[in-house]
Formats: sequence, structure tokens, C-alpha cells
Amino acid sequence: MRNLFPQTVFNHRVNGLRRVDRQQKNDPSVPTKTPPEPTAEESGYLRDPEVQLMLRAKEGDDGAFTQLVKAYQDRLTNIFFHMVSSQEAAEDLAQDVFLRIYRARHGYQPTARFSTWLFRIANNLASNSRRSKGRRKEVNLAGSESGPLGVRPQEQLAIDKSGLMPNRQLDKQELQVVVQQAMEQLNERQRLAVLLNKYEDMSYEDIGEAMEMSAAAVKSLLSRARENLRQVLEPYMQLGREAK
Amino acid sequence: MEKVLRLSADQRDDLVAYLDGELPDPVAQAIDQVLARSEVARHEVEALARTWEMLDALPVPKASAEFTDRTMTTLKVGEVPYDITEQPWFAHVKKGAVLAVWFAVLGLSGWLGFQITARWVPNEQAQILEDLPMLQKFDAYQEVQSLDFLEQLNKGGVFNTSAEKE
Repeated sequence: MRNLFPQTVFNHRVNGLRRVDRQQKNDPSVPTKTPPEPTAEESGYLRDPEVQLMLRAKEGDDGAFTQLVKAYQDRLTNIFFHMVSSQEAAEDLAQDVFLRIYRARHGYQPTARFSTWLFRIANNLASNSRRSKGRRKEVNLAGSESGPLGVRPQEQLAIDKSGLMPNRQLDKQELQVVVQQAMEQLNERQRLAVLLNKYEDMSYEDIGEAMEMSAAAVKSLLSRARENLRQVLEPYMQLGREAK
Repeated sequence: MEKVLRLSADQRDDLVAYLDGELPDPVAQAIDQVLARSEVARHEVEALARTWEMLDALPVPKASAEFTDRTMTTLKVGEVPYDITEQPWFAHVKKGAVLAVWFAVLGLSGWLGFQITARWVPNEQAQILEDLPMLQKFDAYQEVQSLDFLEQLNKGGVFNTSAEKE
């Protein structure tokens, strides 16, 4: 495969296979060829160290909860930033996620990996936020809400300044603007699936659990999303490589 | 090498899952074979892979430095201790308790009223009842005429019933 395929494809596929392999090793719901024989306490998701931290938080250990906040604050902020295009709003949403988890800690049962549970809450929160914004008829800064070609003012300025065209070399910042625009043309669900896949390295099954859909639906969602990205970004592809 | 060989519609839909390693082995192998034989198909899959790499250009913002402290403080402030008055059953218990207190107050008031009335308000009937044993023997007492005479009779052994029995 290495000799026949371009390095990009080879790397991508190897990374994907590694992720799936890792998930199969870690996920108790995925049968392995040589199943270990865990004790009752070790079985299921109790082996997830973050589940253990959450169980300690349930017992009143705020230090354990602080560790969870530290472990996920940047990751959540990043995901929400790409959903709402505002650092402040992203942090508010991330804080809301932790608030919900903290309030729900007394009834917490480890029925999934902690990260999956957390991103499910994040997904619900993002959906609620989108719905309430829709009701209030506020302008969403994200492109998909403001139209397929929606561009934020600061980005428009950057494009205007640079005279951004596919036939000239892109610098890193310009490439960033182009990629951000491409992401914003995805609908919310496509974008979230892409973000979870890209930044959280989540498998289709985990994304499905977080977004409350089947793995097959995730496959289809990601296929459409990546095809959309390809169509928008392909003209910039060579230039993007030079920029990198 | 067949440059014109193309991926089927299904295989095209599976390309992303192929790159992500999410396809079952037989399906992935079928795509491998097409890719090995078709430059067009390889170009297609490479475009998808490169697009994915371009997402690395996106900014990756981090939470602000005070996020952890701010969040934990907010959680603590927002944490409401277990409040029994907030429980759904508490309203029913409260209503029952109020009724019970009212009944107790009413009963106590009645008892106190009775006691006060009995103590302070004169009752003619009660006085008659108290004097009833004397009234029943009033005729006999009148015949005796005086207490001194009665004591003399007692000393004289007139009332000594035990001596008579013997």
C-alpha cells in the first residue's frame, strides 16, 4: 500500500486503522479475540480512568472533578469555538457542560466512556443553544446559520486585504480563513461530527453515541461533510501545501 | 494501469470510512484493488485525505487561564445544598402539619376554657350535687336537733352496734 498510494492517503488510512484498533482494545462493548477476564468491578466502563474520577466526584471529591475540568476544558472550548465562532461563547458553553455534569453527579452511572457522555451533553447543549437562538432570531456568527456563503466581518477583511484567489500562494493565516469558511459551510451536525472525528479522534461508534445516531448514519454524515469540504478546498489544495 | 477505472457509487460513499479505517476488511480490500488499478480513483481519495490535512490549519483555541477556577467557583456558588423544603412531598406534609397544629390549638383552647369556667363561674347544680348526701338524711338530722345531744348519745353507747350483735 505504501508504494502504490500517495503518502497522504497512506498516513490517513494508517491513523484511522490505529484509532479503530485502539477503540476495539479499550471499548468493553467491542468483543476482542482473547477476552480478558475482568472482575465484576473491573468490567465495563469502570476501567476508564475518567469514569473513576467521575465516580469520586459523585462521592463528593471536588479535586477529582477539577481534574476532569482541566482535562476537557481546552477540548470543549475548541469544539464549541468552531460551532459558535466566539471564544467567549465557547467558554460559556464549555462551562455549562461542566455545570450540567456537576449537577448530575449524584445520579451518575457509568454506562459509557466519560468522554462520550461529556460530548453527548455538549451536543445537546449546542442543539439547545442553536434552537434558543433561532427562537430569539439572533444572528448566529456561524456560516451555516447566516447563509451558505456567510463570512464574518474580520474574515471578509482578511480576504479583501489579501485579494484571496486560488491562483496565488496562500499564507498560513489566509489558509486558515479559507478552511474556516469551508467548515462554516457545513451544517451543524456535519461540523460537529467532523470536529469530533478530527480533534477527538473518535470512532464512528463513539460519535454516534455522542450525537445519538447510528454508526451508519455517522458514516453517511461524515462522507457528505468531507465531500463538501473537498469541493470547497480542492482549488486551494496545492497552495495550502505550499503555505504549510 | 487502467486510468479510466472508476469507483462505484457505493465505493465512493465508502471512501471516507475507508480512509478512517472504519470499513470491514472485505469492503476495504475491494477499494484497495480499485485504487491499485485506477489513478483517477487514487486522485479522488488523495483529495479527500489532503482536505482532511488542511483542517490542521484551523485555529485550536484553548480555554482562558482562569477557566478552571472560574468554573469551580461557579459550580460551588450554584450548588444548592439539599433543601427539604424543595422536595415535592414537603408541601403535603406541611399542609397536614398546619391542620394538626390548628386542631391541637383548638383542643387546648377548649380545655383551658372549660377549666377556667369550672373554676371561676359559680354553678348552682354542682353545689346541690355536693350537698346531696346531707339532703338525703335531712329529716333524720332535724330530729337530732343538736350536735351536743348526738355526742352524748354516742358516749352512752346507743350507737354501739357491735355490742348488740354479741
